[in-house]
Amino acid sequence: MCLMGLGQLMYGQVGKGLLYLAVLALGIAYFIFRGGADLAGLFTLGTREADTWLGIEGDNSVVMLLMGILAVIALLLLAAVHVSNVRDARETQKLLERGGRPATFQEDAKQLLDRKFYKTVLFLPILGVCVFNILPIVFMIAIAFTNYGGSIVPPKLVDWVGLDNFVQITTLSQFAPTFGRILGWNLLWAVCSTALNYFAGLGLALLLNKDCVKGKVFWRSFPILAYAVPGFITLLGFKFMFSYGGPINQLITAAGHRAIGFLDIDAKWIARLIGLGVNAWVSIPSIMLLATGILSNRDMTLLEAAKIDGATPWQQFRRITLPFVLFSTTPVLLGQFIGNFNNFGVFYFLRGGLYIDGYFLASDTDLLINWLYNLSISNNYYNIGAAISLVIFLITSLISLVIYTRSASYKEEDTFR
Amino acid sequence: MKKKITALVLSGVLCAGLLSGCGGDSGQGGGRSGEGTGQAGGEASAGANTGGVDLSNIFSGELEQNVTIRVLENDTAIEQGYFRELIDAFNAKYADYGIVAVDANMDQYSNLADDGPYGYGPDVLYQANDVLMKYVEGKHIYPVPAESLECFSQIPENAWNAYKATVNGVQYYMGVPVNVQSSMLYYRKDLLPEDWETTWDKNGNQVPDMVENWNDMYRYSREIVAKNDGHYGYMRSLYDVYFSSGFLFSYGGYVFGDNNTNADDLGFSAGNAEIGANVLLQQAALMNEGCIDDSITVSAYSKLADGTYFATMTTPDVYTLFLKELRLAYQAQGMSEEEAGALAKENLVITEIPKLPASGDLTEENPELIPLKAMGGVNGYAISAYTKSPNACLAFVEFAAGYEMMLRRNEMLGIVPARSDVADAVGGVSEIMYHNLDAGNIVVMPSIRAVEQIWTPGQTFFEDLAKDAFRPEAEKKYKTLDDIKNGLASVDVQIYDAVHTLAGTN
Repeated sequence: MCLMGLGQLMYGQVGKGLLYLAVLALGIAYFIFRGGADLAGLFTLGTREADTWLGIEGDNSVVMLLMGILAVIALLLLAAVHVSNVRDARETQKLLERGGRPATFQEDAKQLLDRKFYKTVLFLPILGVCVFNILPIVFMIAIAFTNYGGSIVPPKLVDWVGLDNFVQITTLSQFAPTFGRILGWNLLWAVCSTALNYFAGLGLALLLNKDCVKGKVFWRSFPILAYAVPGFITLLGFKFMFSYGGPINQLITAAGHRAIGFLDIDAKWIARLIGLGVNAWVSIPSIMLLATGILSNRDMTLLEAAKIDGATPWQQFRRITLPFVLFSTTPVLLGQFIGNFNNFGVFYFLRGGLYIDGYFLASDTDLLINWLYNLSISNNYYNIGAAISLVIFLITSLISLVIYTRSASYKEEDTFR
Repeated sequence: MKKKITALVLSGVLCAGLLSGCGGDSGQGGGRSGEGTGQAGGEASAGANTGGVDLSNIFSGELEQNVTIRVLENDTAIEQGYFRELIDAFNAKYADYGIVAVDANMDQYSNLADDGPYGYGPDVLYQANDVLMKYVEGKHIYPVPAESLECFSQIPENAWNAYKATVNGVQYYMGVPVNVQSSMLYYRKDLLPEDWETTWDKNGNQVPDMVENWNDMYRYSREIVAKNDGHYGYMRSLYDVYFSSGFLFSYGGYVFGDNNTNADDLGFSAGNAEIGANVLLQQAALMNEGCIDDSITVSAYSKLADGTYFATMTTPDVYTLFLKELRLAYQAQGMSEEEAGALAKENLVITEIPKLPASGDLTEENPELIPLKAMGGVNGYAISAYTKSPNACLAFVEFAAGYEMMLRRNEMLGIVPARSDVADAVGGVSEIMYHNLDAGNIVVMPSIRAVEQIWTPGQTFFEDLAKDAFRPEAEKKYKTLDDIKNGLASVDVQIYDAVHTLAGTN
């Protein structure tokens, strides 16, 4: 039981037993030569500070944190292999008790291409997911519990600080009012922009789906062109258009009126509305394309029946088309909501670089993600950034989970299969 | 079986997708050890007990042979071909040693603190003093033996001060100044009143009064605006902290206390800084709304060329852009390229910034004048503490800061050299700027990390101030000097918060 592969060897499964033994040997060697120190480093995060001027190499806390997490993942994988080893030995034992004979190495290998093919296929991707997906996420979460950032960056040593970062962001007197204001606007923004983009995209798709529209391909290409232009280029373009020196104000002044500060320091709601509009410009085409695809799968007989029964176009849309599209696109809608909730670019490019009175290092159009940027990234406070990211993650995941589990898309998953 | 093969291929694709974020920099990182502390490794430890570092342990004077040093230059120098000329000349001189300088081929704003410890990053960096000096805290750049360099005596103390840092109680020079950057006034000579020599030259020095002091510039701007034909006198985006903060400094304001080294002491509202801000407010009243945001920063070249603006203020390194636009404007009027070029050169004047009235009242007749203390910067070279060839890097820096290369840099890029001998040789703008630096009229950007936090609060205030000139009377926020003082005080608070609030977690 303690020695991987021993059970298999005792039942005469030499090949498999040796393979398990080799994995154990590799694991032990890794932990002796590297993993053990990495695990210890995860707790200390380094004890010797580097000094380039004096030629002292020292410890790099960030690398130690990363390698420590990798060692934990390696330990978990080794434990998983060990469990599979025990399970395999037990199955062999049961097989023998039923009068069977242990499978040979060749038979086991064949199984990996037949009944257990899924293991063969998923082995490498799972390993990849552990290293390239789980590791960075765990690393980011771990950062929220350290003092990494500000003046504490390598070569200085980073340390664990427990919940200090969360205490800091919740107890600072300047934070709470700003957090409340920004969260309120952020929620309003996410709901409005998602609804606007979704229904405008759907409306456009329905319009271009109508038989009476001539030259559909031609008209459809315009939103796609808008979609093809990189988002930040579009945003900078709109910023210029709405600036004092931009073409819109030139037209206004040429007509004898005063220039309007569409995005200036006093333009709270105008700037917010422009943000909604510009975001719609950038996002509607993708929804339109998605909806166009889904609409092509509509059951037209339902619509014809409804028409015969005297349903108005609005009733047909509300009772048949919308539920059908909504059912298929709820996960996408949620994705859009999260994307809009965390939409960094719109107000960063349109109206960045302002701190408004009543807001702590933020402006009245900033979303939580912009505020997070001002607070953390601009200052290199990675620890605070990670802590606020976790808070944002909790908010968005909670909203998504509640909405999704209550949606028809989840409750009636099999309806359209 | 086909399905299984497809599944295997798909899983392979998935793995490849996961790996797609890896690699990419292997070419650049190749050959570097990662932890390489270069020659300083081990040898410099003797200085540990004294608190200071013996620089001869880092720069032994013995050139490393057959090495490649990667140099991070600014984009303009690369685009204009100066950098190619520089490394070609250096490589030819040090060919016998096998030292080759190459373009680091990185973003000019890449962060050495992020890249250096992991074996990436350049060996030599050219950047502004505020950018380079933020690397001192983590010892990401080496102190340089400045006194032993040929250029030391040719560069004024003010420029060297931008690169002075105290570490463990010992003072070091962390970089070598190359050029000085600050504000200059650009104006169109052909847009002066025809009779300016009799009506706008009170002191008879053959220099128009409106480019000598802001009161006459204000008076002239008012005359132009009064015609109501869409033309303006002096125009610029006032939101820009780099250009607008000089008006505060001239009346006692400052960025950080203790000669810009103490981030606990914020001074945007210090002294009579509100008087300087009020000067900006008076200027804004004679501009259009374009002064509120940054949209006219780029259009200023063409607006000066088409005569919409008489004058503007910016750095000297964009002189060629103004010149080009003016030449094109003349060509559009039917002149040949040659004629237009010559006339543009004659009519586009770049000169010292006008003087301010001591009272801050731009309408005052015959005011007592004080110089405008403009914000400036000193760009220079620093040596990465992660280089494996510090001596070769020092040789490169000394070569690039030499008389010949500085002169060439000035010719090709129009920069103002930090070397006095080159400034004397080229004269003109360089001489003026050099004189201003020497006279303390250029306030060099602070060289501490906290300087990163001054821009957004400052920008917000200046934008708000400029906007105030266009608000209806009842909605104005800055009606008195006290209002302005309070506004500046809140800038100080915001900067303090940005610098210190989150520092408590560390």
